[in-house]
Amino acid sequence: MAKIILRHLIETPVRYEEEFEARGLEDCRLDHALYALPGPTTVDRRKARAAQVPPVDSEAEMLAQAGKSHFQILLDVVQFLPEDIIIQTFEGWLLIKAQHGTRMDEHGFISRSFTRQYKLPDGIETKDLSAILCHDGILVVEVKDPVGTQ
Amino acid sequence: MSGRSVPHAHPATTEYEFANPSRLGEQRFGEGLLPEEILTPTLYHGYYVRPRATGAGEGSRAGASELRLSEGKFQAFLDVSHFTPDEVTVRTVDNLLEVSARHPQRLDRHGFVSREFCRTYVLPADVDPWRVRAALSHDGILNLEAPRGGRHLDTEVNEVYISLLPAPPDPEEEEEATRVEA
Repeated sequence: MAKIILRHLIETPVRYEEEFEARGLEDCRLDHALYALPGPTTVDRRKARAAQVPPVDSEAEMLAQAGKSHFQILLDVVQFLPEDIIIQTFEGWLLIKAQHGTRMDEHGFISRSFTRQYKLPDGIETKDLSAILCHDGILVVEVKDPVGTQ
Repeated sequence: MSGRSVPHAHPATTEYEFANPSRLGEQRFGEGLLPEEILTPTLYHGYYVRPRATGAGEGSRAGASELRLSEGKFQAFLDVSHFTPDEVTVRTVDNLLEVSARHPQRLDRHGFVSREFCRTYVLPADVDPWRVRAALSHDGILNLEAPRGGRHLDTEVNEVYISLLPAPPDPEEEEEATRVEA
């Protein structure tokens, strides 16, 4: 069991660097923040990529990304704090656990916890993965450098 | 109890209305997302957020809670559609109504998941915890009901006697008294 370090990044658009380079990285700082995490534009890029790669069934999203460079997981963890979330890998599985203790909300008190498991593609190790928690509560776990591994 | 996320407000103000909505949506947790389900970022209170296109499909209302407090009864609806009936337990602890549910690992459209939650409602003072009834509908909505007014709310008044303590002796006066004696 090894932990993956969780980064809090809003302004590090590694994935989009190539797109922004043409426009000047400093000039579109706000766009960086916006596109630092997958949004509608990612789909277009993946579609563009899929056009080059043989087409795959869209049903199995995870399997479609089975190519080492495409492994990516999006998870809605809007109710949880960064310190409530634990990400682990174990024998080829990726475990994401989140738990928050009793807290007050508008209707009383609430506590929640969940565990999610994903099968990692072959050859993916803990050191290849990176996790980003965005300020609007979307957790992204993906292979660190999709461009470099291609 | 790690903190309070609800702002304090006086019950007679609109702030209170907003802070205490009768319906709580967006209570789903542990849900996977597909990149297609993230919509264009919008501004919300000065922050960019990306709305999720969850639609009205199955499970989109999971966890939603609705409170109805009328003259005659206390009623709460809780969507527990992620859980089977035997995975949900309801109990009262003093004047707290606890709904807890947990399901073991199972497969959904994003992969394997196990979930657990516990939601606690505070029963109004005039509700008898023994008279709470729960019913689970076929679509996974738990209906919690209890009649109000079953308890007498007569206030018990007890006048507390205030005992007067003697004043401490003044040091200067004491000094004078000893001088006179000398």
